[in-house]
Amino acid sequence: MMSSTRRPSRRPLLLLSLVLLSSLAAAQGVTVSDDLGREIRLDETPKRIVSLAPSHSESVCAVASCDLLVAVDSNTDFPEEIADLPRVGNAFAPDIEAIVALEPDLVLADEYSGVHEALQRLGVTVYAGTPQTVEETLAYFTTLGVIFDESERAAELSASIEASFEAVGEALEGVARPRVFIELDPTPYSAGPNSFIGTLLSRAGGDNIVTGDMGDFPQVAPEFVVASDPEIILLTDAPFGESAASVAARPGWASITAVREDQVLELSVEQVNLLTRAGPRLAEAVELLVTLLHPELRLPELP
Amino acid sequence: MAAPALLLVALVVAVATGSSEVTVAQLLGSLGRGLRGEAVGALDTIVLQIRVPRALLAALVGGGLGLAGAVYQGVFRNPLADPYLLGTAGGAGFGAALAAVFGGSAGFLGLQAPLLAFVFALASVIVVMLLAQQGGALPVVRLILAGVVLSSILGAGTSFLMLAERELTAGILARLLGGFSFAGWAEVAVVTGFMVPAVVVAMSLARALDVLQLGEEGAAQLGLPVESVKYVLLVAATLVTAAAVSVAGIIGFVGLMTPHAVRLLVGPRHRALLVHSLAWGATFMVVADLLARTVITPAELPVGIITALVGGPFFLVLLWRRR
Repeated sequence: MMSSTRRPSRRPLLLLSLVLLSSLAAAQGVTVSDDLGREIRLDETPKRIVSLAPSHSESVCAVASCDLLVAVDSNTDFPEEIADLPRVGNAFAPDIEAIVALEPDLVLADEYSGVHEALQRLGVTVYAGTPQTVEETLAYFTTLGVIFDESERAAELSASIEASFEAVGEALEGVARPRVFIELDPTPYSAGPNSFIGTLLSRAGGDNIVTGDMGDFPQVAPEFVVASDPEIILLTDAPFGESAASVAARPGWASITAVREDQVLELSVEQVNLLTRAGPRLAEAVELLVTLLHPELRLPELP
Repeated sequence: MAAPALLLVALVVAVATGSSEVTVAQLLGSLGRGLRGEAVGALDTIVLQIRVPRALLAALVGGGLGLAGAVYQGVFRNPLADPYLLGTAGGAGFGAALAAVFGGSAGFLGLQAPLLAFVFALASVIVVMLLAQQGGALPVVRLILAGVVLSSILGAGTSFLMLAERELTAGILARLLGGFSFAGWAEVAVVTGFMVPAVVVAMSLARALDVLQLGEEGAAQLGLPVESVKYVLLVAATLVTAAAVSVAGIIGFVGLMTPHAVRLLVGPRHRALLVHSLAWGATFMVVADLLARTVITPAELPVGIITALVGGPFFLVLLWRRR
C-alpha cells in the first residue's frame, strides 16, 4: 500500500489570519464612556450626528466639523452655518421618529432626560452626557476628539481656552474684584461659586456674594442680598422680564450699591446663552464677563 | 388670652431673626428711627423695609387663611374644607404662570403677576359659583364638585405652561409653593385692605354660622336667610384668600389645620373660633416663615414646604385619634 503524505494543515494559518483581521477591526473602532458610565463602542468614525443640546452642537462644530451634524435640537442657535438644519425637539421633548428616520451614527444627548433609553431600544447609538463645569468641558473636548479622530484639534481647542484664561488672569492681577450678585430668576435664585457661571465669574475677576456652602443654585433670602450689598447685579432673567427698574422696586433693594450706581446689568438672550453653555466659547464667555465687570480694563488680544 | 400675646412674641422674634445679625438693641434703634422717620443705612433698610413688612405680611396672610378656613368649614359644614376649595389656588397659580410666561416687564395684558393671580383667583370662584347655581341657591355639593373640576383644569393649564417654558419652571414652582420673599409695605396695605372688611363681615355673621351648623333646613326654619348668609360669607372669605395667594403664593394647610387646632382649644362656637383662627393662623405663619428663612440660611425654603411638613403629620394624628 502507498502511504499518502499529509499536506500541512491549513487550519492554524486560517485561524491566525482571522485573529489578525479581527484585532485590526477592533483597533479601528473606539470606545468611550459617557456621563452615565455607559460604554459607547464606535467601530467607525461617526459621520451622521444628531445633537440634542446646544453645547453638543457647538462642540462638534469646533472639534470636528458642522458638516457631520444632520439635525440639532430646538435650542441650538450657534454657529450660523447650522441654522438651517432640521430640528428634532430637545432632550426633554424629543421627536424620536424624526431622529430614527435620519439614521444617525451617533446621537449626543444629555444625562438627565432619559432619552437615551428610548433611542437605544430602537438601535440608535447614544452618548448621554453634557459637561456641567469648566473642567468637565475641557475633558469633554478630549472625548469628542477620540470619537471623531480629531484629538489634535480637541487638544488645540482646550489649550487655546486655557491660554485665554491665563491671559485674562494676568490682565486682572491687582485689579479690584467687585461684589457681584448673579440673579438666575426673580424668586430669587442665584448661582454659587462652584456652578458653571460661578466659576466663569471667578475667572473674570468677580466676587460672588453667594458662598460655596450655600450650594450651586440656592434660593437666597432677599435680605441677604441687601446685606451683602453687591456692586454689580447680573440679571440673567432679563430676557424673561426682569429689569433694573423692577429690581429697584423691590422692598429695601433701592439701597444696594449696584442699584444706586446703575450697575444692574440686563443681559440679552445671546449673552445669557454664552454664559450658561458649557461649550467651546468658554473664552468668549469669560471675556464678556470681564467687559461687564471691569469696563475700564483693556484686554490684550486673546489667543 | 394667650393667642395675641403669642403672636406678638412670634412677630418680635421674626423681626429679630434673619440672615444678617441684628441685636435687640439695634432692632429697637431701627424701629425708633423708623417711627420718627429718620431711617438711615443698611440696617434700618433691612429691619424696616424687609423684616417688619415680611413679618406683618406673614401674620396677615396666615390670619386671613385661618379665618377663611374657619368660614369655609362652617359654611360647608365639612372638616376637610379649606380656603382653596372653590378654585382660588388653581386660579392664582394659573394667573401667576401666565404672568411669568407671557408677562415680561409689561405684564400680561398690562397686569403684573400678583394682580393677575388675584384676578384669576376671583374669576375661578365666580365661575364655580355660577356653575354650582341651582334655582337661586348654592348647594354645597355642587360647589365642591365645580371647585374640584375647575381646579383640575387650571392645574393642567399651569402644568402645561411650566412644561412649555422650562427655564421659567423653577420660578413658577417657587411661586406656587408660596413665600414672602419680596413682602413690602405695599403688599401689607393690600392684604390689610381686604382683611378688615372680611373680619368685620365674618364676625358679624358668627352667630349665623353657629345656626348653620344645624343643617341648612334647620337653619332656614329658624329664620336664617341661608343662601344670603352663605353667599356673603363665601365672598368675604374668598376675597381674603385671593388677596393672600396673590401676594404670597399658594401656602397649603394653614387654612385647613388652624380651625381644627383651634376647635380643640376653644370649642366650635364661631365667635371664639373665628377670632382664634385668625390669631393662631397668624402666629403659625410667622413661625413657618421664620423657619423657612433660618433652616438653610442664608438660602430659603419655600414656606409651603414647612406648612406641609407640619400639616401632614397633624392630619395623620387627627385621623388616627378619630378611628
